[in-house]
Amino acid sequence: METALRQIVAFGGGGFSMESGNPLLDDYVLGLTGAARPKVCFLPSASGDADHYIVRFYRAFPAERCEPSHISLFRREQGPDDLRRHLLSQDLIYVGGGSVVSLLGVWRAHGIDTILREAWEAGVVLCGLSAGSLCWFAEAVTGFHGAPQRVEGLGLLPFSNCVHYDEGSRRRLDYHDFLRAGMRAGYAAEDGAALHFTGTELSRIVSSRSHARGYRLDLVGDRVVEMQIATAYLGDPRLASLAPLPEAMSTPVAA
Amino acid sequence: MITRLLALGGHEFASRPPDRAVCELILRLATARAEGRPRICLLPTASGDTSETIGRFYAAFGERPCEPSDLSLFRLGRRPMALRDHLLSQDLIYVDGGSLVNLLAVWEAHELNEILSEAWRRGIVLAGQSAGAMCWFEAGITKSSGKAAPGDGLGLLSGSLCVHYNNEPERRAAYLDAVGGGMPCGYGRDDYAGLLWEGTGPPSALTARRGARAYRVTATDEGVVESPLPARFLPAPAPAALREDIAEFRRVRRMRQGAGWLG
Repeated sequence: METALRQIVAFGGGGFSMESGNPLLDDYVLGLTGAARPKVCFLPSASGDADHYIVRFYRAFPAERCEPSHISLFRREQGPDDLRRHLLSQDLIYVGGGSVVSLLGVWRAHGIDTILREAWEAGVVLCGLSAGSLCWFAEAVTGFHGAPQRVEGLGLLPFSNCVHYDEGSRRRLDYHDFLRAGMRAGYAAEDGAALHFTGTELSRIVSSRSHARGYRLDLVGDRVVEMQIATAYLGDPRLASLAPLPEAMSTPVAA
Repeated sequence: MITRLLALGGHEFASRPPDRAVCELILRLATARAEGRPRICLLPTASGDTSETIGRFYAAFGERPCEPSDLSLFRLGRRPMALRDHLLSQDLIYVDGGSLVNLLAVWEAHELNEILSEAWRRGIVLAGQSAGAMCWFEAGITKSSGKAAPGDGLGLLSGSLCVHYNNEPERRAAYLDAVGGGMPCGYGRDDYAGLLWEGTGPPSALTARRGARAYRVTATDEGVVESPLPARFLPAPAPAALREDIAEFRRVRRMRQGAGWLG
């Protein structure tokens, strides 16, 4: 039996939520589906299903380029009855930003956590930014609720994750502290950078901004080792094809 | 310490007479406990912290002699708050309606359950409508998954509650079925009818609209029985009584703007 290609694209920040007028990351994830008119379902749960956010999604993913839909878990009387069937029939599931703690709580209450794992295994491309990135990992750093918090995600990817990992950001220090305190090794992405995983291996990092980067973080002894990973800028006209990264880049650094 | 809990069948923060009557009752309960200006905090979690819910709450209480605030768990990114400290410093915590399942899931994720039950034991008044009323009981009838179906609550109060009782007949039908099938007995409540628990005695029934009732719903050998409860009528305050001193209104408005609740 052929196994479906499992893919997750975790944005450090970016896409229509943060980069209006820059569709590079959104185009990239649409392209991964291989479908001419991909079915895209937006999950805005982390925002509390904010109306303005849903409207922005439909503007960024118009019917001419895809078949868009959304699921509002706060208004179940509208939208698809059978969540599982709807999600498993998609080509791309796009998770919006907001509170990752609330997101995971609401998902578990509606059984979305299990369905998303099934969708991933069935080859539906999963992506998202911010909370929609953190959720896929075993552990994550969130700064959304004030003091930095260590949260357990869905665990599809057996790493830790930190988003908005920009120069001089408080999160950088918080992430390093958590790693020293025993958080598992993982990946961080700046705004505009996206980590593309195939299976549970990082296959490449792409970006919508020429300077945006992604990082691999490991603890060696009691020292945090941060390795910047080569990033393919999607707006580069010279970018002919995207070769997968060498394997060394996607495996943990030997301690 | 006397625990107080006000569970309402349904209402809005609007200017119609029964809505004003409910606001007045909420303010009175908060004032009775307060040492200074009563502090009233909205938890709009069940709606996903919509601007509409939050805006209506401030429109209703912003001009009254109280200090309104909102704790929006989906909006903490823009305005982080110390959840426990904030909630335990209130005189009244008001929970608005929406999805009961999501409300409880998000509270659990943020560990609010424990804080709210501590607030209740400390005598902070808990109040709410719809999902925000059912959440305090062992069980209720919710449309969180699309259709009216039983759902669990926090269980601070024993028994069950069904809101929008005669306003949404499918809820009442689902409730009668559920109680007949073993759900703990409890209360049905029309919109604008409420029950107030003070201490450990039975609740007193209140109504802000003629004809809106609260019912005791019990399972007996002959089937499920609904008995309407005698209710005290809450008159709407005269519009004149609503008029606040202009200076006071401006002060509250400045405070609200300072709080930056809409970013």
